[in-house]
Amino acid sequence: MSAARGRAGAEDLLQFADELQRLSASTEAALPAPELHLVTFSLDGEEYAVPIGQVREVIRVAEITRVPQAREHVRGVTNLRGRILAVVEIRTRMGLTPAEITPRSRIVVVGVHERMLGILVDGVSQVVRIPANTVAPAPEEVLSSGADYITGVARRDSRLIILLDLEKLLLLPN
Amino acid sequence: MATEENAFGELMGEYIVECLPLAEQIADAFIQLERRWRDGDSGAELLAATKSRLHTVKGNSAMMGLGPMQSVAHALEDVCALLEAEPTMGSDEAGSLLIRGSGLLINLVRTAAQGADPKPAAQFVKLVQSFLKRCRANEGKSKRPDLLLERRRSERRTPEEALESSDVASAVVRVDFRKLDAMLEVLGEGMIEQAAVAEVYRALTRKTRPTAELADLDRAILALQKTMKRLEGILMETRLLPVSTVFGRFPRLVRDLAQANRKRVQVVTSGEDIPLDKAVLDRISEPLVHLLTNAVVHGIESREQRARAGKPAEATLELQARSESGRVIIRLSDDGAGLDESRIRAKAQALNLDLRSTEPGQLQSLIFLPGFSTAEEVSSLAGRGVGLHVVANTVHELGGTIEVESRPGHGVSFTLSLPLTLAILRSLIVEVDRERYAVPLSHVAATVRTEPDSIHQIHGKGVVLWRGDPIHVSDGGALLETGAHATTSRRFYVVISMGNRRRGILVDRLIGHQDIVVKSLDPALGRPTFVSGTTILGDGKVACILDTLGILEQRMSA
Repeated sequence: MSAARGRAGAEDLLQFADELQRLSASTEAALPAPELHLVTFSLDGEEYAVPIGQVREVIRVAEITRVPQAREHVRGVTNLRGRILAVVEIRTRMGLTPAEITPRSRIVVVGVHERMLGILVDGVSQVVRIPANTVAPAPEEVLSSGADYITGVARRDSRLIILLDLEKLLLLPN
Repeated sequence: MATEENAFGELMGEYIVECLPLAEQIADAFIQLERRWRDGDSGAELLAATKSRLHTVKGNSAMMGLGPMQSVAHALEDVCALLEAEPTMGSDEAGSLLIRGSGLLINLVRTAAQGADPKPAAQFVKLVQSFLKRCRANEGKSKRPDLLLERRRSERRTPEEALESSDVASAVVRVDFRKLDAMLEVLGEGMIEQAAVAEVYRALTRKTRPTAELADLDRAILALQKTMKRLEGILMETRLLPVSTVFGRFPRLVRDLAQANRKRVQVVTSGEDIPLDKAVLDRISEPLVHLLTNAVVHGIESREQRARAGKPAEATLELQARSESGRVIIRLSDDGAGLDESRIRAKAQALNLDLRSTEPGQLQSLIFLPGFSTAEEVSSLAGRGVGLHVVANTVHELGGTIEVESRPGHGVSFTLSLPLTLAILRSLIVEVDRERYAVPLSHVAATVRTEPDSIHQIHGKGVVLWRGDPIHVSDGGALLETGAHATTSRRFYVVISMGNRRRGILVDRLIGHQDIVVKSLDPALGRPTFVSGTTILGDGKVACILDTLGILEQRMSA
């Protein structure tokens, strides 16, 4: 059981590492302009990103155990190599319907304030570097609608990447 | 003095309210520090925290013009600074100096309104100065810290311990307690893996015919289980410390408190050598101090009242520890006035609690409810001091229970039942709507197969006769909000009980008994009332541990 999950996690990690290496190799000769190093994932067809420094790893979804009377936007807990990881349902936090788990679903394990938490996302994530000057603030109307966890919107080719502030998004209790 | 008191009365009150808890925390920290030294730890962060508290006390005292407090706090600060710079100076002398100073500080702060006597403070400052001088002279001279610490340990032993230990002294090593925690963690993982192997074995036996290899595997698994249990036993033993490590400071505490309240109280302790997991001991000390303080300040009557009641002038506080089927029972009794039930009743009515079905015993346990324990209300009402619900919460968090028994005119006793250890919990695993839960076995009174028509509906509540008594049974699915449709077809109910509170929970399956490794709840999950923690089961999946006390108490507050 946990061995199979361990392998799956390792695959993802290796991919992650390859991606990192490829990116760092390709940027060595590139421009010195300030860049943001991000991990992206998808939710309802939109692409979101969080700073790579806050991401510990990306894992496949194993069974998530519901916790009765848990806080809002908590999906449950899962076993991460013997540690209990709380998994946050950010979809409902962002006003979307609860996630359906598919083979593409992933848990992005993030570290915020020395705490480890999982974020349940719809789609496979990747690592990107984007020049800081391509980031624009989100429209005022979006921010004032309660989405103050959005730090900006970045253009990348013809795509839009929505940058998230994890601390504001996760609203961790003390 | 009297005019001063009037002029500064209000400010002085504020000063005492702010500084007394600080002084107490400082005293507690020093006692803990002594224990840390004994464990071979320098206690650096403890010293730093204490220094800042001392600084606050010093500042406040200076503001109030209370020279003696200011100089004692200052002297203690100096000793802390020295110990911070030179951890090897942590000696018996330093320890008793700190504890003595903090005791003095508590006394001075407590009696600040009556005006401070400068003499004991001046004496203490002198002692500190000579100690500091000697330490500075010794500085640099290589004194091995280990030797100092070793000496401390042997001095602390009772004669029979010393006799016993003279043989084993050479076989004793000091270990950082965190290492024991880490070992326990690894042992826990081992236990989960062992359960996983057993699970695969069971799956195998269902699929294949019995073979010699399978029989061997069965034997090997059993042997492994036994070995793991033995390992657990040995590891648990290494984590145990006698309760005297906590009880030891109580006589001083009670003496100081009694003096401050112009009462005479003797402390009688027994069972000091009963062992308890250090992790439990560390957390139980504060609640016990709370209970002792309450007993001395509120429970025990004034000398005049005692004389009128024909009681001896000197009150007795009994503190007793004993082992009982894998748990440790700590009982604290006073021979004071007892709880005032009419006042509890009045308070309960003020809080709109329904008392019609409350038996006398249950009435007393109302004092553990939050509404009963705000400072002013309780000390004037039930005759008990602050924070009994905080005490009860801590005990519950430890997986323990607390009960109160009061005999009007004869005193109150609190009985705490504590688990020997926090890390491993004997549990019953149950299934409700395909979700599995662990129920702490210490609170399971029975598991019963549901007979047709055995569950009655009274005013929409399920009621079953259990051992002749009607008790409430609730549906596990509804209780735990599984979201499945209500069903009447659950095959079992589990009776959970604590003291005289009982409740049945209907479940689908009883999976079995298991020693589980408790993993605390991530604060990110919020504060669920019915779940106290989580654990990883044999198949690697996570199960929630039911907070049986939370479930039993739900009725009380509802």
